[in-house]
Amino acid sequence: MKRLNLYIRIWWKLTVSSFMISLTSRFNAGVFFVGKLLRFLFFLLFLITIFTRTETLAGYSSHQMIFFYLSFSLVDTIAQLFFREVYRFRPLIVSGDFDFALVKPMSPLLRALVGGADPLDLGMLPLYIAAVIYTGGRLGDIHGVNVVFYILLFINGLIISTGFHILVLALGILATEVDHAIMIFRDVVSMGRIPTDVYHEPLRSIMTFVIPVGVMMTFPAKALMGLLSPWMTLFSIALGLLFLLLCLKVWHYALTQYSSASS
Amino acid sequence: MNVYLQIIKGTIDEYATYRLSFILWRVRLVVQLLVVYFMWWALFSGHNNLFGYSQGAMLTYVLFSSFVRPFVMGTRTQEVAEYIRSGSLSNYLVRPMNFLGFCASRDVADKLLNVLFAVFEIVVLYFLLRPQLFIQTDIVMILFFFAALVMGMILFFYFSLLISYMGFWTPDVWAPRFLSFVFAEFFTGALFPLDILSGPLYLIAKSLPFFYFIYFPLKVYLGQLTPIEILQGFSIGFVWTAGLWWLAVIVWNRGLRAYTAEGK
Repeated sequence: MKRLNLYIRIWWKLTVSSFMISLTSRFNAGVFFVGKLLRFLFFLLFLITIFTRTETLAGYSSHQMIFFYLSFSLVDTIAQLFFREVYRFRPLIVSGDFDFALVKPMSPLLRALVGGADPLDLGMLPLYIAAVIYTGGRLGDIHGVNVVFYILLFINGLIISTGFHILVLALGILATEVDHAIMIFRDVVSMGRIPTDVYHEPLRSIMTFVIPVGVMMTFPAKALMGLLSPWMTLFSIALGLLFLLLCLKVWHYALTQYSSASS
Repeated sequence: MNVYLQIIKGTIDEYATYRLSFILWRVRLVVQLLVVYFMWWALFSGHNNLFGYSQGAMLTYVLFSSFVRPFVMGTRTQEVAEYIRSGSLSNYLVRPMNFLGFCASRDVADKLLNVLFAVFEIVVLYFLLRPQLFIQTDIVMILFFFAALVMGMILFFYFSLLISYMGFWTPDVWAPRFLSFVFAEFFTGALFPLDILSGPLYLIAKSLPFFYFIYFPLKVYLGQLTPIEILQGFSIGFVWTAGLWWLAVIVWNRGLRAYTAEGK
């Protein structure tokens, strides 16, 4: 418990510093914020355009499709808010400055993973939360248990996303490559902007069981709509936890291979 | 001329040095392509025709966009902002070569490599996915297609260069570039053909330079434009290209006056 408190205090200090750095240039911050907002709106516009010509897609109405996209945006934004430091990990490895994180009496993973939150994503969060609540409330008859399942699977989605970011960090140590790897992860995850049920087999199964984008992005929204069985919910949570454990194992292995080059 | 050939060769060698980075870059582009391809394939379930496109025409559009994209938008001009910020631009200014020629040579190397890989990937993906592709057989249309590609390429070169030139006045060039990526993602037609948009939105898209990067060349290739629309497209595209070239010359000259070689 004492350790956890310490880590929360460290995380808070790192986050405050990161926010101050990000907001040094108000112009930059403003342009990035507008860019993020436009990116969200443009895809929403694309979805709306698709539904001008078709009533349903794989059995989902336009309303449901928009909810899937909003739920995706919320998971994606929270992950980016907390894990922005992953995008800055490569210079630490290439320069050997990661040594400084290793010699400190704290988890190097904490420093590499959540050492620099992004205030711009925090700015987007109220919009997404309000949109998810508003659209979710208009989906029809939603039971309390479905809301609980949604929240559980939403957290599970964040756990899977954490695992993916840890894998990228591990690859950064093993191959000094982060920039493209993180973007490949984001491109793959972007398939979750629409429900994975829409895709053809075997892609659908791959996106559920191999690269669990479906579990991460589609299942929470399906649970809220009452379209996911309790067994599938349990399976998803087990898969999420197992995936995180596996990613932590890979991270610990990667640490043993760190060569401290250039330092 | 030999200088620029050496720059092309040097840039290719640079890519060969950071092989993993280049391979992952290509993997990323293939993943991006597959994301859009699978999405459209799924959207066509139960539909023979959507937005006036057959499944074959749409999948051809998506697959061939992976060839058009690196040809038009493959660039190294984003580095110019960093040269200005770090002061290393001075190193290039004192050399007996034209700086624009240097940038263009770097771009040629980038395009050569990326287009080569893109063609290879399209062939592999074709044999893996077996989509119904539309093959253009009209030689005139093919010539117009390549002319549209070259026009898009020059237009994009100056567009990207202008964003980098902002580095003369501010060190924060990454944010405007990010904004340009967001606009480009939507308005180039990389995700979908722009004519599926509603009337007013399509008109906005048509009035932007992004229209000529991916959408216009592919529509020419698909043979879906009338001769008047092709002529109109080339005319407006030419005006955009000339306008951005003119702007780039002015901004470069003014930028050089503001340049302080900070950091050197």
